[in-house]
Amino acid sequence: MPLLAVRDLVVRFRTHEGTIHAVNGVSFDLEPGETLGLVGESGCGKSVTNLAIMRLLPKPAGRIEGGSVLFDGLDLVHLPESDMRELRGRDVAMIFQDPMTSLNPVLTVEEQMVETIRAHRQTTREEARRRAIELLEMVGIPKAEGRLRNYPHQFSGGMRQRVMIAMALALEPKLMIADEPTTALDVTIQAQVLELLRRLTTESGTAMILITHDLGVVAGMTQRINVMYAGFIVETATTEKLFGEPSHPYTVGLLHSIPRLDEVRPGELVPIEGTPPDQRRTPVGCPFAPRCAWRLEVCWREMPPLVPLDPNERLRTSGPDATHQIACHNRPTPEEADAGRPLREGFVPAPPPDAVVEDLAPTEEVLA
Amino acid sequence: MARYIVRRLLMAIPVLFGLSVVLFAFVHLLPGDPARSILGQHATAASLARLRESLGLDRPLHEQYFLYLGDLFQGDLGSSLVNGRPVLQEFMLRFPATIELTLVALLFAVGLGIPLGRLAARYAQRWPDGLVTIISLLGISIPIFVLGLTLQFFFSVQLGWTPVSGRIDPRLGIDSVTNFMLIDTLIAGEPRAFVDAVLHLILPGIALGSIPLAIITRITRAAVLDVANEDYVRTARAKGLTERRVDNRHIMRNAWLPVTTVVGLQVGGLLAGAVITESVFAWNGVGRWVVDAIRNRDYFVIQSSILIFALVFLTVNLIVDILYAYLNPRIRYS
Amino acid sequence: MGATVAAPTVAAQDRASRGLWHDAARRLLRNRPALLGLGLVSLFVAAAVLAPVIAPYDPIEGALVDRLKPPSSEHWMGTDLQGRDEFTRILYGAQVSLQVGVVSVFLALVMGGTLGAIAGAAGGKVDATLMRVTDVLLSIPGILLAIGIVAWLGRGLPQIMLAVAVTNAPIFARILRGSLLSLRTADYVVAARSIGAPASRILLRHMLPNALTPLIVAATLALATAIIDVAGLGFLGLGPPDPRTAEWGTMLTDSTKFLRQAPHLLFFPGIMIVLTAIGFNLLGDGLRESLDPRLKR
Repeated sequence: MPLLAVRDLVVRFRTHEGTIHAVNGVSFDLEPGETLGLVGESGCGKSVTNLAIMRLLPKPAGRIEGGSVLFDGLDLVHLPESDMRELRGRDVAMIFQDPMTSLNPVLTVEEQMVETIRAHRQTTREEARRRAIELLEMVGIPKAEGRLRNYPHQFSGGMRQRVMIAMALALEPKLMIADEPTTALDVTIQAQVLELLRRLTTESGTAMILITHDLGVVAGMTQRINVMYAGFIVETATTEKLFGEPSHPYTVGLLHSIPRLDEVRPGELVPIEGTPPDQRRTPVGCPFAPRCAWRLEVCWREMPPLVPLDPNERLRTSGPDATHQIACHNRPTPEEADAGRPLREGFVPAPPPDAVVEDLAPTEEVLA
Repeated sequence: MARYIVRRLLMAIPVLFGLSVVLFAFVHLLPGDPARSILGQHATAASLARLRESLGLDRPLHEQYFLYLGDLFQGDLGSSLVNGRPVLQEFMLRFPATIELTLVALLFAVGLGIPLGRLAARYAQRWPDGLVTIISLLGISIPIFVLGLTLQFFFSVQLGWTPVSGRIDPRLGIDSVTNFMLIDTLIAGEPRAFVDAVLHLILPGIALGSIPLAIITRITRAAVLDVANEDYVRTARAKGLTERRVDNRHIMRNAWLPVTTVVGLQVGGLLAGAVITESVFAWNGVGRWVVDAIRNRDYFVIQSSILIFALVFLTVNLIVDILYAYLNPRIRYS
Repeated sequence: MGATVAAPTVAAQDRASRGLWHDAARRLLRNRPALLGLGLVSLFVAAAVLAPVIAPYDPIEGALVDRLKPPSSEHWMGTDLQGRDEFTRILYGAQVSLQVGVVSVFLALVMGGTLGAIAGAAGGKVDATLMRVTDVLLSIPGILLAIGIVAWLGRGLPQIMLAVAVTNAPIFARILRGSLLSLRTADYVVAARSIGAPASRILLRHMLPNALTPLIVAATLALATAIIDVAGLGFLGLGPPDPRTAEWGTMLTDSTKFLRQAPHLLFFPGIMIVLTAIGFNLLGDGLRESLDPRLKR
């Protein structure tokens, strides 16, 4: 049984200016000990999905309006708040993007770590303190005992993130959600922190969801990857298959917009045209259509379902044999995926139903 | 942190000098003939000459200033033109009354303001918030004298629940030892007098504290809302802490910082407001004395009262700044 | 290619800065408390401006035989000690309050704005010195400063206006100086400079609109306190020297002598002051919310 089973999750934000459709029917599984990457650009719903899982959506605007989340068999969507609170920190932990703002500036590291431990376990302050020192050493902070009395601003960025990781793993949770853990850090520190995360979660058998917009981050870290766009999962596969056989036009675009050192012939960088979608309107058709080079007329009208690449294959939603699935009406061929654009004779991407040419024209001019 | 305190003290010095210059100018640079302006139309030539002598009005300006500074440092703030007594002495006699009133008003403003602000923040955009906002709006829109007079009219004149004016019923015959009525009544061992003194403090305290109450409420609400949106509050919840813990340890501990600063600033407003409150309630403090002094053109009283009030205000602000530095680890350990 | 890229951006900026005011106006109109404030302020201004036209009686002369009458159909707000119609005096009182309020805040803006602009633009020692000057003025709490100035200069409307102006000027100076200082190093100003935009254009198009908005808000709120301060001075006996002038604060002081017989003489000026202050406060708050591009609820 998977540790986490998300089915058709729908999250919306109701604001004065309208409703934002942040997550539009997301489903995925996670096995114990598995590391899953959640990749996508800003606003695609990757963070919101996980905040929803932890029931930490900003109130009152954010609401789960559909679907289910089963964690170890428990229905998280309808769990009473007091039970949810026990779960947080103890069974599911989350670390956030900016360690400077994610730690309370007026409390010492000791206070913040001890309170986490004592919130879920009946221990004395002294025992909790010792555990805190243990944890700090585990994440590689030198002179851990002395540093307990320091305040967050007295640590460097990378160290702060280590402290956050230590706090998250304090109670040995079954699932750790890391939301862009290295985005705010220097590149050299990024690698260290990621390595630390990988080592610790493997050692303790903690499952991890790694959220990022950077494909480079997930490459070495995850077993499987979900690619998200505008609140939908558009492609899901094992990490190997995703990089080896990218199949969704968005994924193809992502991979081609990163310069790669190991390319034999210097290929051209193919940017993805257009801008992220306006999520204030209920999605009609595939949200990627306006920017898709492979789009057909049906893409404007119907959202393609997430289906396996090989229809004959038995569907596995998690684990090393997970089925490669995409949500697309007109899948790029392997050669097209390699080239980064359609190679079919005379293929022209289908124009929008009531063509407002303005929206598309300027970007082509800029490229010219 | 020590460096911060030193720097802060150094910054205060030019302000003190500037203040002394301004107050020096208040008397020595009175428009027209200072001596005549002070003593009035019917002053005799002899008294004019004596005043000019003691103020050094015939000497060059900078000499006059140093004379003034010298007097200041010796504690000589001049004499009242009304009864000839030294200003400093008279001030000290009346100051406790003002302090007592100011403290009660501050207690009222902080004691009610912070909880109201927190309440408004917790129920933001819903009816408790609206109600608190209205109270806050009224607090800053109703001038002290209007509120004071209205309270007086309803509770003292019409309902008779509280005394109309003064600090205590003179018939109770309490000796002035410290001049703090609450203390003196206890020293005299008269609990009924103590209650009487408290009753006398209620209306003026509320009137004087109304504006700081409004401001502290607003600031507390804003501070709590700001902090509640911070990332570390989300982290605290993600760790599974109870709402109460999140509220007290994470939200309030950070919200105190801006609130402390504002409370310090309000002390200035309280001192200024005391002037008006004391007039409404015939309170025998410095404020009322200054108002009388204006009517009697008792310039030395006005000059010295402003000086001392400003000094008190500056000192309070200094203390608040240091307190802030202590409470904020980023400054304390830098 | 460079030319075609630069031109649309500058034109877009022009449209953007005009758009800011437009946007702000729209947001303000949707804010109901702010509209109430605007309404109250308009009423106040209308009363002040139209006083000579709509006042039913003479504000200065009254018939002693009519004195201290309660509100009636002939005298909507009753009569005062001299038999003068209270409603008329309230209207003329609005005139005094408006006059003093507007002039003193305007003066404060000029004085404080100049000081703040010099400090913010010059920086360094000039800035430090000017800030110490404002510190000195700010160390004397509010009305004490005004009292001091009126005691020094004597009673009279111009003196009162100056006194209230000096009380507000240091605050405006601080605000403008703060805005200018932070804007000098703001990313978009540096960016504008980097594409070679002339300093004057930077000042006008980019810095000033942003620096002005906190000042506008502060000025509106200062009008509320100015009106209260003037009334306060009047209450303390420092109002306009001519006892026949209708000024709300002085009217309040006079009313205290006959509180039991004529409580209406306390309430009407009192309510007028409060309503006017509420109006300006609501308007100022509304302006603050609508002029802040980063609308935080």
